[in-house]
Amino acid sequence: MPTTPAATPHRPPASALGAGAARNDRTRRLRTWYLVHKWTSLVCTLFLLIVCLTGLPLVFSDEIDALLSDDAPFATVPADAPRVCLGTLAADALRRHPGEIVTSIYVQDDAPAVWVWLAPSWKSFANDEGSRHYVKFDAHTGHLVKASGAPGQQARSFMDVMLSLHTDLFAGLPGELFLGAMALCFVAALVSGVVLYAPFMRHLPFGTVRAERAPRLRWLDLHNLLGIATLAWMGVVGVTGAINELSAPLFGLWMRTDVTALLEPWQGLPPPAIDQLVSPQVAFDTVARALPGMRVTGVVYPGSDQGSAHHYVLWTRGTTALTSRLFSPVLVDARTGALTRVIGMPWYLRALEISRPLHFGDYGGLPLKGMWALLDLISIAVLGSGLYLWIARRNANGARLAQLARAHDAPARAPRGVA
Amino acid sequence: MTRGSLRFIWGVPALLAAATTFGLAAALLGTGAWRWAAWGALALPIAACARHGLRRQRRDPAS
Repeated sequence: MPTTPAATPHRPPASALGAGAARNDRTRRLRTWYLVHKWTSLVCTLFLLIVCLTGLPLVFSDEIDALLSDDAPFATVPADAPRVCLGTLAADALRRHPGEIVTSIYVQDDAPAVWVWLAPSWKSFANDEGSRHYVKFDAHTGHLVKASGAPGQQARSFMDVMLSLHTDLFAGLPGELFLGAMALCFVAALVSGVVLYAPFMRHLPFGTVRAERAPRLRWLDLHNLLGIATLAWMGVVGVTGAINELSAPLFGLWMRTDVTALLEPWQGLPPPAIDQLVSPQVAFDTVARALPGMRVTGVVYPGSDQGSAHHYVLWTRGTTALTSRLFSPVLVDARTGALTRVIGMPWYLRALEISRPLHFGDYGGLPLKGMWALLDLISIAVLGSGLYLWIARRNANGARLAQLARAHDAPARAPRGVA
Repeated sequence: MTRGSLRFIWGVPALLAAATTFGLAAALLGTGAWRWAAWGALALPIAACARHGLRRQRRDPAS
């Protein structure tokens, strides 16, 4: 945050005509923008520092996960090797956890892995995230690759801690909404910062850093340079960060409106018993045949509060950088395995889906991730220099106050001094 | 270019913002050469920060 324009040597020049009134007006406007910049920045700086620091490892989470993984290696097989039936894998997972239910199956498309998710019951699935756990299989051999701890026993990994600090500060939905509000504060700070940039740079070529002058001036120049150069990136990451924090309410809204309306015809009908379900593989094949351009990434079992009591919900996505981020859910009748319908996603969930890659930076290879990390470091420098400028200015104000106080006391002693 | 003019103040920042926007979109919408273009475009704001931020300036260009 820069010092007030009035206090700098590069105050905006008054316009030629009507100088006095126009200058006062402009000074007042800039002072308001300065206050907006100062307070929106101060409110969010601490949280943004946390978000920037935890974001640094999160950018590379794929690489770090792969590095730390102690999974059994996948079998080497020809490219067109047959895959094990999803129903067989689900049954295998249930044999390892008798009495539990399968809640969903995740079919990874960048590795030959199938994750079978389980919970003691749908009730505990809905109420206690810690009760959800998985068994991960090799898609070609059906061999166990990895099993998460039993319900409630999963250890929190380093990356889990980073993710929670980054997204909800261990406070669940209230934490997410709070950090979303901080992201909006950050965007307001960016906007006010842009307004303040012009009066400071009216006489300085882009990139000027007055290194030989007072440190405060040098940090001000650096703050302005780094902030304005990375403005577009910080704006995109700030706005998409705020949108991402709304994912739980937005999905909830969609479930309550569109999905509820869609499932209206099945309202009140008796849901199928577990032994009446067709194999998840049948549902998978139905969708793969019906939507040849899409990849099926997951099968949600009937009974989930995130699905339907009467259908498997299959999540599909496209294959390009953009369309692989856009999911389309498909309903398949759980008793017959016939396709019920493809569900169109509302605009606000599409906006959320596009916000994800633009926030994570994981859509353009390792070079893009590297640049994400560098831009993140530059953001930390902008935050740090802003904080420094605020403290330095407070100290300067303190010194000025002390000076004023001395000047106020002075007249009493002045006669002696003068004499 | 006159000091204080719109182009003087906003020329480079606008260019960097345009490059960033292009880079973010190109990586999302294209593959192959577009990806390289995206990396090149996104490197510009970082290069600007490095060039001016790390340079030891001897002279005050404003004075």
